[in-house]
Amino acid sequence: MITTLDQLSPDTRAAAQAWLDASVAVVDADVREGVRDDLEIALCEGLAAGATPEDLAHLITRLGPVTAEFDRSDADPRVGRWFGIPYDVRPLTGERLKDALWDPADPNLLKPKAFGAGWDLNFGALFVRLGLIEPDAEDEPFTNTPHDAFVIAAGFPALMAAAVVAHYVARGRTLPAHLPHHWDAAGRPDAWTTKGRAAALDIGVATAAVGLAAAAAGSRTHGAGRAARLAVAAALAGGAAKTTVIRPLKGGWWVGPVLVGGIAGSAGATLLGLAWAGRDAERRRDLGSGYSARP
Amino acid sequence: MAEDRTAQIRRGVVEFAVLGLLARGERYGSQVVDELATQPALALTAGTVYPLLSRLLKAGLIASTWQESPVGPPRKYYRLTEAGRSAHAAQRAAWVAVRDALDALMEESR
Repeated sequence: MITTLDQLSPDTRAAAQAWLDASVAVVDADVREGVRDDLEIALCEGLAAGATPEDLAHLITRLGPVTAEFDRSDADPRVGRWFGIPYDVRPLTGERLKDALWDPADPNLLKPKAFGAGWDLNFGALFVRLGLIEPDAEDEPFTNTPHDAFVIAAGFPALMAAAVVAHYVARGRTLPAHLPHHWDAAGRPDAWTTKGRAAALDIGVATAAVGLAAAAAGSRTHGAGRAARLAVAAALAGGAAKTTVIRPLKGGWWVGPVLVGGIAGSAGATLLGLAWAGRDAERRRDLGSGYSARP
Repeated sequence: MAEDRTAQIRRGVVEFAVLGLLARGERYGSQVVDELATQPALALTAGTVYPLLSRLLKAGLIASTWQESPVGPPRKYYRLTEAGRSAHAAQRAAWVAVRDALDALMEESR
């Protein structure tokens, strides 16, 4: 134990100061000094005068969970709350999107939006409540999900896009010249567009979803970002497919639930399937190849 | 107000409590939750324990392994790593020092 960081060797002291600076950079300005003092005390208690940078790294690993308590990104002006509503306008990342959409360890059903203002549905918490997955099913969500599972998940947007195209090819001639493109709160159409524009929009959205899904499936980056992108692709494709089916129908109270269900259900099912695949991969790793997935 | 203060004290010891429980032997997630729930003073729920287990895993203080269960599907068991044992020993020493100091203060104030 030392009483001040000045007792450390120059290399270790410099590394310790750099870590302290980085650790408090994300903390609210009004508590920054206090947090820095606490962390400096923790370093002094955990290090001897002859400590090397490796000793420091080891100690920092142990302090990780402690510093995480102070790790509040709302020091960034792009993140915060406005009249109680959370907002985040930093450039969107797959990791943040995954954190908003899939955090089974957190029982809160709503999480601050990954981008924009408001809340996203935490599908992880929802499926834990429904008994479909355990809160700790994966050590780190989607990290152990096999590549093949991502490829299979990309098949859903492709299937939906094919269904949308098939719908317009098969029924195009018999569809009315104008189709609804907006519905009121009661589910009655209140704005119309030409058949050609409706088809172009639905096919365009579905095709974009296929592109996004293909990019995510083909990527070899971290699983969380791939899962989030596949969930978004599934939501877009599911939404396009439902819209395609709803347009020629008369409308009614069911329009909203069907559309929301198509979008949220597609995203949720994709994330759940990928999480199951990740959990099974962890089980096979620990229980041996003889383990076979069971419900 | 008194509840806020109690919550503040609890926040500082939840990690110590989980590491302490796992120092007794490996346990699966809901077992950790159930055993901690028997300590009303800690008031720990699944909503606190699972995110904490996740953070401790990331920090390398605990490790997990799936094991077959005699009833139902396999369970994920958690155990302390070497780093976790060191962290727990350090926290225990700090806790004892704080507890002794507070006990002495309480004695003096009687």
